[in-house]
Amino acid sequence: MDTTSDQIAERKYNFDVVRWFTIMAVVYLVLGAAIGVYIASELAWPALNFDNPYISFGRLRPLHTNTVIFAFGGCTLMATAFYTVQRTCGTPLWSEKLARFTFWGWNAVIVLAAITLPLGFTQSKEYAELEWPIDILIAVVWIAFTLNFIMTIAIRKTKHIYVSNWFFLGMMVMIIYLHVVNSLAIPVGLFKSYSLFSGVQDAMIQWWWGHNAVGFYLTAGFLGIMYYFVPKQANRPVYSYRLSVIHFWALMFGYVWLGAHHLHYTALPDWTGSLGAAVSLAMIIPSWGGAVNGMMTLSGAWDKLRTDYVLRFLIIALAFYAMSTFEGPVMALKTVNALSHYTDWTIGHVHSGALGWVAGISIGAIYHLMTRLWHTKMWSEKLINVHFWLATIGTVLYIISMWVAGIMQGLMWRAYDSFGTLAYTFIESVAAMHPYYAMRAIGGTLFFLGAVVMLFNVLMTVLQSHLGGHLRQARAGTLAPASA
Amino acid sequence: MSDYFYTDWAAMTAADWVGTVLTVVIFVVLSLIYFHVFRPRNKERLESYKHIPFDNDGDFGEHHGGN
Repeated sequence: MDTTSDQIAERKYNFDVVRWFTIMAVVYLVLGAAIGVYIASELAWPALNFDNPYISFGRLRPLHTNTVIFAFGGCTLMATAFYTVQRTCGTPLWSEKLARFTFWGWNAVIVLAAITLPLGFTQSKEYAELEWPIDILIAVVWIAFTLNFIMTIAIRKTKHIYVSNWFFLGMMVMIIYLHVVNSLAIPVGLFKSYSLFSGVQDAMIQWWWGHNAVGFYLTAGFLGIMYYFVPKQANRPVYSYRLSVIHFWALMFGYVWLGAHHLHYTALPDWTGSLGAAVSLAMIIPSWGGAVNGMMTLSGAWDKLRTDYVLRFLIIALAFYAMSTFEGPVMALKTVNALSHYTDWTIGHVHSGALGWVAGISIGAIYHLMTRLWHTKMWSEKLINVHFWLATIGTVLYIISMWVAGIMQGLMWRAYDSFGTLAYTFIESVAAMHPYYAMRAIGGTLFFLGAVVMLFNVLMTVLQSHLGGHLRQARAGTLAPASA
Repeated sequence: MSDYFYTDWAAMTAADWVGTVLTVVIFVVLSLIYFHVFRPRNKERLESYKHIPFDNDGDFGEHHGGN
């Protein structure tokens, strides 16, 4: 719901780039989910590869991850960070030009990824596949984003820096460090390079980056979103500010240790993996503290969930955050990892975090932003509810199918007969996966359809604002609050 | 148990020492943060910051001493 305060903010702050990032986030959500559904279908029905290397699973999978993580997730983070820092610091962005550069630079990275990955140009590092020239562009754009954010905080009108900005800034600083170190490589051509690291050191650097991409980009950044948008949508301050401070520092100090739990039973020294597992368990405490803090913000106002579909997205996201931050440490334990590693349980775990937490909190924040940025009601509240159920049912179908598939794989691979030989061949375990892969594709399709519904609703809302002249009137200060 | 915790201090490399010192420093800093945040006299001030997102644009500082 747009308010007089939002119209004042329209004239006071710079929301143009926020609007661009918001729209592109929804577009990339649809594209990323579409690619995901296609490659999930390729695993269930391999004929869909069509013997065409450009659309094979191996090339489209990194395109899917890059689209959902860096295109959808990145645009969401940039939209919400630029919005939150202005509204909580009481000052416009330090540099509008740098914000525009961030938008065009980030989208150039995404276009280059969409071209090079299907062509097979890759560094073969998970979640860091893009070749060295694109890595340099990522670093430059991300530093521009960070610099603009820091300088906006520096010129703030408030004494205190609100906790959302701490989470955003923690993410920005750590991602520069992680991205630069993990991407250190020796180029041997324009689209070919070799990592500076080798052997087990390369593996450790890869997962130091890989898990911290989860910890700082997909967790800390989106917690920044949570700490601003949940209270705003619920119209109540966060349950405990002190808990949010503890949440922040425990997350910042703790997360960097976890990467080693990806390398149990490998050439990595045993103690390193044990340390990673131990700190993973310890991280349940701040993670659950944060999840409870977000949910308890609704204390005394749970009835809002009956009517506020946007709040539903935000709160269900917190439930998935709590669930996946419990499941992750359990999977990090060596005894559980011996069963779960290399199986589809990992894929299920990742998607309970990605679809349930990251996408859920993003979608809720984007719906919240739509009415504030375009100064009009959503074109259809009912379609938000339709989206909510499509996304939730799709996510649950997805993760349940992968849990069953993963545990079944792990049990089949370790089953022995009375002669001490393996009870199943590998191909038998692959064949046994078919029904679960089909179920995963169906769950993904439901989630994708929800994203399509959202894009339609978002575009119709923009059109409604344009036809009604709401944004123009808000800028001129002539829009009556009742009409918004 | 004593074997498990045995450390050959003479064999520690520079990287080992940097890691050890950082670990201890982080442990101490995190302990200080816990103490600061949960100290009763800091409760009112810290909790007042939760209202920042609800300040009307233009009148920041009424709740929490901003300028």
